[in-house]
Order: sequence, then C-alpha cells, then structure tokens
Amino acid sequence: MGKLARIGVTLLVVVAAVFAGTWVWDHYLYSPWTRDGRIRADVITIAPDVSGYVAELSVQNNKIVDKGAPLFSIDKTRYRAKLAESEARLAQERTAWELARHQYERRKRMSDRQTISEEDLEAYRIRAELAKASYQLALAELNTARIDLERASVLAPESGIVNNLTLREGNYVTRGTPVLSLIKRDSFYVIGYFEETKLQMVREGQKARITLLSGGEKLTGEVVSIARGIADSNTTSDSQMLPQVQAAFNWVRLAQRIPVEIALDPLPENINISAGMTVSIYLETDRDKE
Amino acid sequence: MLHEMSIGGMLFSPFVVLVPLAFILSAATRLATHYLGLRRFIWREAWFDVAVFVCYLAAIVYLFGD
Repeated sequence: MGKLARIGVTLLVVVAAVFAGTWVWDHYLYSPWTRDGRIRADVITIAPDVSGYVAELSVQNNKIVDKGAPLFSIDKTRYRAKLAESEARLAQERTAWELARHQYERRKRMSDRQTISEEDLEAYRIRAELAKASYQLALAELNTARIDLERASVLAPESGIVNNLTLREGNYVTRGTPVLSLIKRDSFYVIGYFEETKLQMVREGQKARITLLSGGEKLTGEVVSIARGIADSNTTSDSQMLPQVQAAFNWVRLAQRIPVEIALDPLPENINISAGMTVSIYLETDRDKE
Repeated sequence: MLHEMSIGGMLFSPFVVLVPLAFILSAATRLATHYLGLRRFIWREAWFDVAVFVCYLAAIVYLFGD
C-alpha cells in the first residue's frame, strides 16, 4: 500500500472528525435548549366581596373543587339585618311617596277652583317628585343589601385545586383581601427562559420536549409566544432622577434570558406536576426533522 | 441527554458519561487495529486516534444526546 493511501486514510478520518466535532459544538452551544424552565399554572386569588367572620369553610387543602361550588361563607347575621333594615326603609319611603302624591293630587283639584296659589301647587308637585326619588334610592339600597347577602357565600369561579389554605372558621376576612388561591384545573403551562443568543432559533409553533428535574418520561409541548420585553436595569433613576447605569465588562457578558411560553400537550397519566417545578426544555429545529 | 445527570443530588453535564464512553470505544479500536495489524495503514497515529475519539463522541451524542 502506497504512502499516498496511508495519508489519505488518516486525513479522511481527520476531516470526518472536524465535521463531527463542529456538529457536537453547535449541538451544545447553538441549539435552542435551556435548563432554566418552570412549570406555571393559572392561579386565581379568591377575595371575599364582603367583610365578616368565616362561618363555614367547605373546602380542604389541595382538593379539587368544581366551578360554582361553595368555598366558604361569611357570617350572614349582619347582612340579613341590613336587608331587613333596607326593606323597612323601602316601605317607609313608599308610604311617604304615596302621601306626597295624594297631597299633590288633592291640591291640583283645588287649583281649578282658584283656592291655592300657583307657588304652593308647584311646591307640592316638587315634594312628590322628591318622595319618588327617595323611594328609588331606598330600592337601590335594598338591591345592594341583597347583593351583599348573596356574596357572603363565596363560590369557586372555576374548577380547580385549593392551594395553601390557611383560612379557618372564625377568621375575620376583609373585603377585597385575598384569603386563598385556586389553581385552575388543567391550566399548566411552561415558561422557558432562553438565552438571548438562542432566541433567533425560537419560533412560534415549534415543538418542545420537556424533561422534569426528576427525569423519567418526557413531556411535549408547543411554543405559544415569546415575551417582547424584559426589564432594563439601566432605566431606573435615583432620587435626583439621574439614570443608574450599571458598570459592565467589555468582553465578558452574561446572556440575558427571555421568557418563552410553551403550552403543554395533554399530560401522560401517573405524572404529578406542580406549578413552580423546574424543567429542562429542548426545542426541535428544522434540522432535527431532516 | 441534554438533560443533566443527577448523582446523589448533584447535577452533572451528560458529557461526564458520554466522554468516558467515547474514550473506551476509541481505546478498543486502538487495541483492535493493533492486534489485526492495521496500524501500518495509518500515517499519523496520534492524529488518527484523536480523530476517531471525536467521531465516536459525535456518534454517541447523536444517538443518546436527547
């Protein structure tokens, strides 16, 4: 075998190694993958619309509740009393309106016989109008009292799982202050934080393979959207309204990470996922399909 | 296997497994070529061995890389 053939065989292997090495390098450094992914879910924070003591708690921690099922109810004594008061006020205002109307009707007939002045008649007409407005106000207040009584029972706005329940019967809850959170059922999705250097390889609709930190079965998904903004720390200003520009190295820079939202395909059975879990994500590129 | 390896709670790059695997394969190739007397067809042995190692590594990454 000639020397030329020996050189040829070696060089062939070396050239193959150069191509293979380049491929491995690209595969690790420039394919769109990240180890920085999180599972997220739609979380509904439940706040009561009225204040009061919790009279009855109908849910348990980490258990599923259906849409419209009662979560807890607030002591209704005060709201029933308020409703009764509004009903009584309404009756009072209705009677007052009737009286004013009656008086006006009577004086209207008298005016035909010229026994009452124009001004007095006008005053009675306005008085009747006023009584009518008072009646309508009382009606509106009654409606409000009814809504308050209704909202003393807090219902689940969506099917989901009650999370981190620290609410107990007897606690005083305040209107508008969240007291428990509900993780919407089957609303899990994944946010992957991709380095900005790899972002050009991310496309909407791209297939994703997702691995939990525990390994095991891979989940699949699809890129839904790419975040179009992250905070720039150079735009904050101090008390004199001067920008706080961060010092930076010229050549050593950390790639920032951009959130990419990934919708999960239906989950395999026997798999437990919770919002907040860490995942690794690998996006399939066109090259993989070839 | 872009997924990290968990050994006793510590995470390692998958290369920790893939590189020794490629190394063992190239050592085996070296032994085989030696005993079969094929090494006389090689021009620069060191170049050849390194090149074979890189080819094996790429093949392993391709096969088990994900």
